[in-house]
Amino acid sequence: MSAVLRISNLRVAVGGKEVLRGFDLTMRSGEVHVIMGPNGSGKSTLAHALAGHPGYQVLGGSVRLDDVELLELSPTERVRHGLFLAMQQPMEVPGVRLVDVLAAAGVARDGLNERMASEARRVDLRAELLERFVNVDLSGGERKRAEMVQFGVLRPRFAILDEIDSGLDVDALGSVARRLAESTTEWDCGVLAITHFRRLLHELTPTMIHVVSGGRVVATGGPELAETLERDGYEPFRDTSAS
Amino acid sequence: MNSFADSATSLITSRPDAETRRRAWSMFEAAGLPSTLDEVWRYAPLSDFDLDRYRVPTAPVDAPLAPFATSLAGLSSCVVRVADGYRVVDGTDVKGVTIDEAPSSLAFGGDDPFERYASDTFALLNTALAPGTTVVSVEPGVIVHEPIIIIHSAHATASFPRTQVRLGTGSSATVIEYYDGGDGAVVVPVSELEVGPNASLRLVTYQRLAATAWHVARTTAILDRDARLNQSVLGMGANYNRSRNDADLRASGAQNELRTTFLGSGVQVHDFRTRQYHRGARTRSTLLAKGAVAESSRSVYTGLIEIEKGAKKTDARQTNHNLLLSPFAHADSVPNLDIRENDVVCAHASSVGPLDELQRWYLESRGVERHDAERLMIQGFFLEMLDALPSSVARLVEDDVASVLRSVAVIA
Repeated sequence: MSAVLRISNLRVAVGGKEVLRGFDLTMRSGEVHVIMGPNGSGKSTLAHALAGHPGYQVLGGSVRLDDVELLELSPTERVRHGLFLAMQQPMEVPGVRLVDVLAAAGVARDGLNERMASEARRVDLRAELLERFVNVDLSGGERKRAEMVQFGVLRPRFAILDEIDSGLDVDALGSVARRLAESTTEWDCGVLAITHFRRLLHELTPTMIHVVSGGRVVATGGPELAETLERDGYEPFRDTSAS
Repeated sequence: MNSFADSATSLITSRPDAETRRRAWSMFEAAGLPSTLDEVWRYAPLSDFDLDRYRVPTAPVDAPLAPFATSLAGLSSCVVRVADGYRVVDGTDVKGVTIDEAPSSLAFGGDDPFERYASDTFALLNTALAPGTTVVSVEPGVIVHEPIIIIHSAHATASFPRTQVRLGTGSSATVIEYYDGGDGAVVVPVSELEVGPNASLRLVTYQRLAATAWHVARTTAILDRDARLNQSVLGMGANYNRSRNDADLRASGAQNELRTTFLGSGVQVHDFRTRQYHRGARTRSTLLAKGAVAESSRSVYTGLIEIEKGAKKTDARQTNHNLLLSPFAHADSVPNLDIRENDVVCAHASSVGPLDELQRWYLESRGVERHDAERLMIQGFFLEMLDALPSSVARLVEDDVASVLRSVAVIA
């Protein structure tokens, strides 16, 4: 059954400054939506606010997954309702192993190591790296792929991927893009990818592209929008109402 | 036997080296038990401590090994079992490793033990009352691949285990010391480590005594030229858990990495003391003391870095992090530096506070409930200490740590 993620008029402040200023986006499971926009336009703020980062203050608006208001839920409950964030800068958690994290997140221990290893293979990550403490001594690109392993094991209904492509080499980028594309058919996952680069979209065909500027969506279009952005930059889309 | 002293006399007179023991005993009697007026004993619940509740055993109490100890013993072919301070079983098929017994007053690093322990009441008691010294020696140049496991069980009301580990030039070994039992008992271990030139010792001490035990431990390491000691101390049990760990970096290039951790629950007191004594040039010490206090427990960490004149290019670092898990818990941190040489790098940092909020959020954002995230992070303090161990041993200890943590109400 198709699920709907509906972000309406979301307003979020960081350090007292309103960064998201009425953000709207609606998507269905199985779709791939891409958010592009200049630095400081609010893309990462959106990702952090959706995942309930303690440093981000929601001022108003709504994020509904079907009938459930996610903003009223704890970060844990949001994931358990099916919204997962793959972070731009995944944190080190010394002394804690990923297998224990996933088990504590409710994944059956039986066969878990095998599932992790199989997901690791799909994104060209050496599975033994996952035996280290979470993200400790992993390079930037390895951390991104470790996020993808978690994505594959948790199988969320919607996944936000905050610059999953940064720090990845071309080959890894291809396998990550393919893994995301496959998830849309494997379990009808809704993919919301935040990126600066069109390269991710070579193997991950977007349903829609949204251009963000000044904390809101200023343009929405099909895959052709990425080409326009690459040619003309963000300037034509710049939101001037901010000042 | 009407008193602790009577039982001590029985033990002392039954041993061939009674005279030396009597000397230690009389030094103990002259000094008497410490008092909380003494700064280094300020945090100990000494008002509840009465030696006459305990009796010195003249033989080990016969009791089967607990399941965890049995599993641990199964992981190596070099296992020493010590019951109530008495060496009961040892088996080593490992070439280049010998296990012997020596008198409790055995000299160490060329030092007179009476001088070393003159002002340490409990170490004097151990010198008088340890049934003997278990000496584990690794021959020069031998790389021991299997861990050497020393299992201490306490079933008598008092035990005074004494251990020496000696690594010859260029040798390398991993030693695991495990303590269990100790219900209503006093357990006073003295351990001495001698790491020879260019030798490398990894030592993990896992103290898992009953919550009613008094545990007063002292470990002293002497590091020769370019020697390396990587030591982890995990304090889990005991009503009063005192662990003093000294390292004497007496020759150039010696390196000491010491990590200590504990979890306090109930009304436990964890009292960790460290002294890094730099005498040789280009010596390094890194110390990380981490712990959590829950319920009504408390902890104190007192660390001294001492750098002798002439110990040029010494690098000494000390970090202490304490985690408060309850408004009734308390943690103190007392770092001290005593530096008599200018050409050194020396740093210390300490903090008392809650868990890292962003790390916790990261785990929550994977779908982990907050209390599980906190439990995993606290468990992580311990797991970080185990990474020096072979993975089979590390996994076993990890599972045991996890089971203990689950029983502490606030973090279960």
